[in-house]
Amino acid sequence: MKEQYIKQVEKELSLPRKMKKEVVRDLNEVFASAMEHGETEQQIIQRLGTPKEFADSTAEQFGIDNTKSKKRNGIISALAAFVMAAAAFSVYAVAQSGKVPEGAIGQADAATNIQIEGAFAFDISQILLAIGFAATAIAVLFIIRTIHENRR
Amino acid sequence: MNNKYVQQFKKGSLEMILLCLIGRKETYGYEIITELNNSASVLGYAKEGTIYPILYRLQEAELIKCRLAPAAANGGSKKYYSLTDKGRNVLDELILFWSSYENCVNGFIESYQQVRESK
Repeated sequence: MKEQYIKQVEKELSLPRKMKKEVVRDLNEVFASAMEHGETEQQIIQRLGTPKEFADSTAEQFGIDNTKSKKRNGIISALAAFVMAAAAFSVYAVAQSGKVPEGAIGQADAATNIQIEGAFAFDISQILLAIGFAATAIAVLFIIRTIHENRR
Repeated sequence: MNNKYVQQFKKGSLEMILLCLIGRKETYGYEIITELNNSASVLGYAKEGTIYPILYRLQEAELIKCRLAPAAANGGSKKYYSLTDKGRNVLDELILFWSSYENCVNGFIESYQQVRESK
């Protein structure tokens, strides 16, 4: 229960790594001291508040709006994923249109040529497509998560 | 009595109380909680969830400093808090202000009570 509490605070807390480490150390001391005096983990957690409450009020004291910066991080991640998806799709599109065989005078014989170099070229564009879809999915996930965090 | 006005008083003075406690002698988290709980009848029970964030702010403002000391029974280390010079100056100022503030508020209370009694 204690480990889970501290882990949850760590997750909810958006602070520089060094400060986070400090907060985790302090929480360990809080639990150790109180248990040394015969208190239960349950009692201690009651005095600490929920992990989110503790994380938010701690971050606030460092001049950081915890919920805001979490939201901002979510938006930045979503944007990054979208950019990646767009990049993957556009490289895929370029690769597709560039598939006209070099030696061709007209484009009529393209079909046979594509089949010849198909094995390699097709694999790469498939991977690109997969990356594009994965990045889109990740972007959507981040957006959903950000909205969800906001509602809490 | 635990309405929101009382909460506001407590909230405003908790930092000064903490500075007083830490200024008396070097002290650590659990001791602070225990000392505060001696006055629980007036202040209500102290919670780590309230105290630690304030300690972080006081530390961030460089009013208090801390050192880690190994503590075997404590599963590692214990953090001892003490006032910085800046913290002592700020506390002195706060105490001065508190006295004049108290006088001022008492003045309003007395004037109110005088009017009530003469009726």
